Parts: sequence; structure tokens; C-alpha cells
Amino acid sequence: MVLLAAVALTTLIASGATRLRFTALAFFAVSIAANVIAAGATTAAQAAVLAVAGLAASGILFVAARDGEYGEDPGWRLWVATLIAVVATPAAFASFRTITADVPELALFPSDNATVVVQVAAFWLLSSGTAILVTARGAVRTSLGALLMLTGVQLLMRYAPGPQLELTIAVAWVEVVVALTGAFLIVNERAVRE
Amino acid sequence: MPLQLLAAMAPIVFLLRKRVVIAAPLTLLTLAVATALVALAPDAASSQILSLQLTITPLGRLAIVALLVILAAIVLDVWLDEPAYNFFPTALGVGAVVVAVLLLTTPLATYSILLVGLLLPVGSFTFQIHRNRSVEAAIRHFAFVSLGGTIGLAALALAESLPRDQPQSTFVLLVVVLYVAFALKLAVIPFHTHAALLAAEAPATALALFFGVLTPMTVIAFAQILMQSALLPSIVQLTKVQDLLLGIGGLSAIGGALLATGATDLRRLVVCSVISDLGMALVGVGTFSGPGIVGGIAIALATGASATQQLLAAGTLERRADGGPPRAARAPMAAAVFVAGGIGLIGAPPVVAFPGRFYVELMAYSFATWLGAALVIATVLLLIAQLRVAFGLFSEGLPSWRPERRPVAGVVGGLIFAALLAGGIAPDAFLRPIAAFAEEFLRALRPL
Repeated sequence: MVLLAAVALTTLIASGATRLRFTALAFFAVSIAANVIAAGATTAAQAAVLAVAGLAASGILFVAARDGEYGEDPGWRLWVATLIAVVATPAAFASFRTITADVPELALFPSDNATVVVQVAAFWLLSSGTAILVTARGAVRTSLGALLMLTGVQLLMRYAPGPQLELTIAVAWVEVVVALTGAFLIVNERAVRE
Repeated sequence: MPLQLLAAMAPIVFLLRKRVVIAAPLTLLTLAVATALVALAPDAASSQILSLQLTITPLGRLAIVALLVILAAIVLDVWLDEPAYNFFPTALGVGAVVVAVLLLTTPLATYSILLVGLLLPVGSFTFQIHRNRSVEAAIRHFAFVSLGGTIGLAALALAESLPRDQPQSTFVLLVVVLYVAFALKLAVIPFHTHAALLAAEAPATALALFFGVLTPMTVIAFAQILMQSALLPSIVQLTKVQDLLLGIGGLSAIGGALLATGATDLRRLVVCSVISDLGMALVGVGTFSGPGIVGGIAIALATGASATQQLLAAGTLERRADGGPPRAARAPMAAAVFVAGGIGLIGAPPVVAFPGRFYVELMAYSFATWLGAALVIATVLLLIAQLRVAFGLFSEGLPSWRPERRPVAGVVGGLIFAALLAGGIAPDAFLRPIAAFAEEFLRALRPL
């Protein structure tokens, strides 16, 4: 539960940041928290791929900022996005969760790989990402929204059958391409504004 | 092998991109070799990347060859008529994505690569950023593709991970989410707003890359992913879901055609016509019938070729117009090819687009009279829109039929049209591989 709170908090920090470099660092924190939450369902190789993808994506955004001042003030968008995410997460969980007869154990402190916790974290990230994307105006928040959603997808994929490592690598590539495309657009958008 | 070749050559060409005289022929040569390798590969030949399986199917071969040839036509036009050095590595990257998406057999991997492919042209959409709104158009495209892509990827991951004893409604809902995700990526109505801005601000060749190569590939990937993900049997049990799929497709077909009739420039006309045709293709796939699926995929491929033909011609006509309205007198061959491309987008005989459109309209009528009538009205509206623009192009008459200087778009478009005509004269070679896929799709739909 503590890790779930960490995912929620770091997501809110990333969404509320007005400086791109801070957003990039907060996204890296989201990535770490999300991966720790699903650590029990992750092999060492997968964890390495996920860590590198998270680091690469945040690094690309960090470099794209070029200085510590550049960013996008979310303003009212932060509250609207948070409200949408808060409403959408339980709705998504109610519609798509795995229904079992067992009552899940929700431990407070230890890293918990129970499906229910991983799914809640994934739905939170997907809802937050969608809300940020839908309310985004510029390239900074669009990139952040897409990256948060992909982090949520990585969580959901842990329970999909099939070649886990290969699928993790495929989505990690998508993450890096999204970050590169976002960085390209951020640089161009800044050039137009200035 | 073709996948590795294209993927390996993309970074090499990226390093050489500023030497256009080397980068362009190298790109064309790579595309030609990759096309030949796929065309000559035996049926069901398979290989592995890590543990992901790639298999050549008849539809995969047909679509890869067709899309790589279209890609080569765009590269030729960029090289000779509108040099943009960043385009060549992008084209090779898109080529690698086309091959991977059409050969991979793992739905989640196919979808991930598809998403990468749809993001690749963003770099080609932006040009002369201080003079136009191309950055804004590219950001909107990025947002729509990212949203549709990640929602679809999540739906697919959930569909794969949920145990089969879950309530049926969960899987039905996932199919609806997946469909909306593809609609977002394809820019069909009502998710088309970014396409209008792209049509106005992005270069014609970049639009051809997206609407001529990537959207047909996305339609085929949609049918392929549906089939491989084992979600199909869930849909058949609820007719309301099918009604929704057909409704969105029909809305896009007629809405796109209506927008085309009001199009104020050549590129917008082409983009709206493509949106209409994609709606029709989705109706075809949504009928879950053999002729409908064959027609839907045939429309997607033929639309890609015709849209490329018209977009390249539109680029030439706009450049030669020097800021004024495009007129045939400035580039007669490009104008003729533009008008011929309209025949393909309408799906009029004898081009190869005709049988596909005929099948889909037939199946739409068998489902509901209103749906069939909507598709016929969409075709008539497209005809009116294309005729209106064609009359506008030739409104000042034509002093001479002598081709313009460097008629690259005219020659490339002429070759595409000749291929579409040849396909129309002997449609069997084009439709048989699609029919093989439709048979497989129907088997997945109603497993014994």
C-alpha cells in the first residue's frame, strides 16, 4: 500500500511540475516505484530493461529541457487531470480487474506483488496519463502523459502469457521512441515560441 | 532478413542523410532488395527474433510488397522533386516497421512496433517551423497516436492477462476499447481533428508516408491483431458491439465524404477522401464476413496507393502554383495523375479498388439498408468532391498537353495508376491472398 501511495504521489508531482527537468526526475521516480510494486512478477533481466528504459526516457526529457527554467505550467489542467484520474481509476478497476474468489492480502509495508495492487497501480497510471494527454496543450505534458501510460502498460503486461522479456523490450522501445519524439517536439516548440 | 536489412540500413542512411546523392539511391536499393526478399520467400517461411516468431503469410507478402513499393515511389519523389534529407532514414524505419508488423505473430509485439511506426513520421511533419503551424500539427498527431496507441496496448495486455473465466462483458468492453484505440490512430471520424491540421500544415510527401503507407498497414494490423488475440469469439455473441463497429465505420465513411465535398485545397480533399475510405474499410472488417473482410483490406491497400498518387501530384501542383491556386496549365501531367488518383479513391472500375468497394457495399446492404445506402451516398459524395476539384484544376483551360519540366510526380503517379489498372484487370492475384486471410479470420471468429 505504501508503494501504491508512492506511485500516486510521484505521479502527482510529475503532473504538477512546472519545470521540465523536474518533470523528468519525477517520472523516473514513478518508473522506479511502479517497478518495485511489481518486483515479485519481474525477472532480473526484465527489471534491468525497465530500469534502463525509465532512465533513458527521463534522461532524454532532461536533456531536451536544455536549462533548468524551461517547462509548462499546468495551471488548471493539473486539477482537472487529477480529478479525471481519481474518477477513472476505480471505474477502470471495477470494469477490468481480475475477479477471483480469494480475498487479496493488502500488506502495508512490504513490496507486494498481489495482482490487485499491481492492477490498481496500472489503472492509476493509465487514468492519470489519459487525463494529462486529454488536457495537454503542449509537447511537455503530452510526452509525460504518454510515458505514464506506457509505465502502466508495462505493469499490466507482467501477467500476460508469452515471451515476457521480449514484450518488455518491445514496450521499452516504444517508451524510448515516445521520449525521443516528445523531445524533438519540445525543442521545436521552444524554437517557435522564442 | 528483410527486417534486419531495413533496420540496419536506417541508422547508416541517417549518418549519410545530408549527402542526398548517396542516401537516396541507397534507400531505394535497400527497399528494392527487401521487397525482392519478401516476394521470393516461400509461403509460411518463418524465423525468430529472440523468441518472437515471424511468419510470411500470403496477405503479409502482398501487403509488404505493395507498401514497400509505395514507399519507394515516395522516396523517389522526395529525392528528385522535393529534397528533404531527413526523409530517407525515416522511410527505411517505416519500411522495417511495415515488415515487422505484417510478419510478427505475437499481438502485443505487433502492436508495440505499430505504435513506433506511427510515431516515426513526426520528424517529417515539421518543416519551416517559423512560417507555419506544422509543429502544432505534429504535437496533435503525437497526442492522438500516443493516446490511441497506449490505450490499445493496455486493452490488449489486459485481454491477454485476464483468465478466460472472467465475465464476458469485460472482454466485450476490451474489444470496444481496442476499436476506439485504432479509430484514434487512423483518424477516422469523430477522431479526425488532428488530420485536418496535418493536411493543411505538413508537407505532401510526409502526408503520403502516413496516409499512403502507415494507415493501410494499421487497418491490416487491426484485423490481424483481432484474430491473433483470441478476442473475436467474445464479439460474435453481442450484436450491439458489431452495430457500434459498423456505426463508427459508416459515420466515418459518410462524414469523410461530406468533408471532402467542402475541401478547399487538394491535400485536404485527399485526406478527407482517405478518412471516408478507411471508414468503409472498417465497415468491411466489422461485418465479420468473408467478402466484407476481403473488401475492407482491399480498400485499405488500394486507398494507400491512390492517396500517395494524389498527394505527390498535389505537392507538385502547389509548388508550381507559386502561392496562387493550383492549375493544370502549370503542371499538366501532375494534374492528369491527380484526377486519375481520384478514380482510385472513389473505387470506380476498372481500377483494383472497385471489387473491394463492391464487396463491402454488398455486405453492408445485407446487414442493414441504411448502412448500405450510407456507403453508396459516401461514394457519390466523393465523386462530386473529386469532380469539383478536377474542374477547378482545369478551369483555365490547358494551353498545351506537353508535360511539365521534371514531371516526377506525374511519372510516379502514372506508374501507380498503371499498377492499379493492372490489378483491376486481373483482380484474382490481388484478392486471393486477402481471401486466404479472411478464411483464417472466420475460423478464429467461430472456433469449432
